[in-house]
Amino acid sequence: MSSPTTTTELAPLDLSKWRKVPMILIVLGGIGSAVGAFSESTRLQFGYSWLQAFMFCLSFTMGGMFLTMAHHLFDASWSIPLRRINEHLSCLAPVMAVLFIPIALMAKSLYPWMTSNPAEDHALASKLPLLTMPMFYAIAVFCFVCWTVIAFGLRGASLRQDVTGGAAPTLRMRMISAIGIFVFALTFTLAAILWMKALMHEWFSTMYGVWYFAASTWITLITVYNIALILKRMGPLSEVMKEKQFYFQGSVFFAFTVFYAYVTFAQYFIIWNANMPEETFWYVLREKGSWWDISMLIIFGHFFVPFLALLRIDAKLTPWLMAFLAIWAWIMHFCDMSFNIMPVFHKEGFVLHWLDLTTLAFMVGVLATVFLKYFAAHPPYPLRDPRMAENLGVYLPPGPTGPSYISESGAH
Amino acid sequence: MAEVLTTDSMAAPYGIVAEFDTPAATMHAAEMIRDSGFKRWDVFTPYPVHGMDEAMGMRSSRVGWFSFIGGVTGYTTGMIMIWWMNAIDYPIVIGGKPMFSPMSAFPPSYELTILLGSFGALFGMLFMNRLPRLHHPLLKYGRFKQATHDKFFVVVETSDPKYSAVETRRLLESAGSKNIEVVEE
Repeated sequence: MSSPTTTTELAPLDLSKWRKVPMILIVLGGIGSAVGAFSESTRLQFGYSWLQAFMFCLSFTMGGMFLTMAHHLFDASWSIPLRRINEHLSCLAPVMAVLFIPIALMAKSLYPWMTSNPAEDHALASKLPLLTMPMFYAIAVFCFVCWTVIAFGLRGASLRQDVTGGAAPTLRMRMISAIGIFVFALTFTLAAILWMKALMHEWFSTMYGVWYFAASTWITLITVYNIALILKRMGPLSEVMKEKQFYFQGSVFFAFTVFYAYVTFAQYFIIWNANMPEETFWYVLREKGSWWDISMLIIFGHFFVPFLALLRIDAKLTPWLMAFLAIWAWIMHFCDMSFNIMPVFHKEGFVLHWLDLTTLAFMVGVLATVFLKYFAAHPPYPLRDPRMAENLGVYLPPGPTGPSYISESGAH
Repeated sequence: MAEVLTTDSMAAPYGIVAEFDTPAATMHAAEMIRDSGFKRWDVFTPYPVHGMDEAMGMRSSRVGWFSFIGGVTGYTTGMIMIWWMNAIDYPIVIGGKPMFSPMSAFPPSYELTILLGSFGALFGMLFMNRLPRLHHPLLKYGRFKQATHDKFFVVVETSDPKYSAVETRRLLESAGSKNIEVVEE
C-alpha cells in the first residue's frame, strides 16, 4: 500500500484559474439549451436530452443522500471527512426540483402513456392508479419534498454539531436516517419508474429502482473520491483525509462496480430466461443498430474496465488511476442513461446530439455553482463529530465525568 | 550437569527471541531490524498492530494472485464445461433458445469463480505460510505463550545471513528488550 505516488504525497493544487468554469458552462449550456427548446424542430430532442441530463445529475443528489444515511446507520467513523461533501450533494435536491420543471411541462410529449387511452391499452389500464396525470405530478412533488426534508434535516443537524459539539445531533441524524432510508427507497423507486421506466409503460422490471440506485451510488462514490482528492490537495481536507479514508472510499466504489453489474445482469437474465414478449421487447429494441454497441460498452466499459483496474489493493490509492476512472465513470453513466432513455426517441441507434451536451453542461454548471456556494458557506468537514478522534486514530482521554462528548455542553 | 550442557550446545539454535512490553517499543525494534537488512525474522503480537507491516518493510501479500488465478480458472472452467455439455456432447433444444448462451452459463460460471477464488485464497495462504505444520521451535519457549496475552516478541532466525549471536543480541538490547533468549531448533 505504499507505492511511490499514493494519495498521501500529492503536490498542492491551485484551481483559482478554473473558478469561472461553472459560469461558462451555465452560459454556453443555457444558450444552447434555450435555442433547442424554442426551435420547433429540436423541441422533442431537447425534452429527451433534458430528461437524460436530469437523470444523470439526480444520481449525485441521491447518491449523496444514501451515503450520508448509510454513514449514520452503520455508525461509521472513517467516512466523517467525506460526509460534508455528501451532505452538500444531497442538499441539491431543491435545485433538482427546479430543474424538473421543463420535464413537468413537456411530460405529455415525452411519455407516450400520457396520451394513450387506458380503455384500449391493457398495459396502461393495469397500472392505472400509478400512471395517471395527477399521480405523476403528485408523486414528483412528494419525492422532492421528502428529499429536501431528509437532506436539509441531516445537514442542519450536522452543521449544528459543528457549533455545539456533543452527541445529541448525531443521535438526531441517526433517527432521520433510520426513517429516511425507507422513505428514500420508496421515493427513489417511484422516481426511477415514473421518470425513466414509464417511457415504455408496457414494460415492467422489479429491479429497475435497484438498478438506478446502484448506478447512482456508483457514480457518486468515484466523484466524491475525486472531490476529496482535489480538496486534500487544495488544503481544506489535508489534515483529515488520510490513506485509510481514500482506500475505504475506493473499496466501496469497487464494491458498487460489482453490485451494479450484478443488478444489471440479474434484470437482463430474468427477462432473457422467461422469454416473454411483453418483457423482452425492451431489450430487443436495445439490440437494434448502434444500441447493440452501447450495450456491449456498458458490459465491458461499465463493469470490466473498472473491475479489473481496481482489483489490485494499491489501485484504490493511485490518484491518476482514480481520476481517470472518474472521467471514465461519467462517460459510462452517460451511456447508461442514454441506453435507458433514448431508444424511445432514437429507435435506430445511439445519437450524440449537441443538445445532450448543452443540457448536461447547463445542469452541471448550475449544480456546481450551488455546491461551491454550499462548500464556501460551511466548514469543509464535520468539525466536532464525536467519532472524529477515532477516525484519525487519536486517543482522547475521558474527562472526569466520562468522555466529554456524552454531555451536550461537554465539548465547549 | 556437564552432559546436559553438551547436549544443549549440540542442538542447533533456531533463532533469537526478544520480548517487549509495548507495541511502540516493538514497532521501533521492527524498524531497527528492517533497517539493518535482516530477511528471516518475524514479529508476534497479541493483537494486530496498525503500521507494523510498514515497520517490518513487508511487501503487499501475494495471496491475491492465488485467488485471482483460482477465479479465472473457475470462470473459464464453468463456461467451457457448459458449452461442451450443452452444445457439443448432448445438445437439446429448449424453448427455441440457442444451444449455448453465455447468459444461462453465467450463474454457474460465476459461482465457480467464487468457489475456486476462495480456494485459491485459502490454500494460497496456507502454502505461503508453510502450513499446516505440527510443531514450531518457538513453542518450546515457555514465555512465548505470552504473545497471545500481553507481551510482544521479535524473533530473528539464525538462518538469516545477517545473523550473528553477539551482534544481533546487542541490536535487540539496544532496541530496549529486557528479556532476550536463544531458542533451539
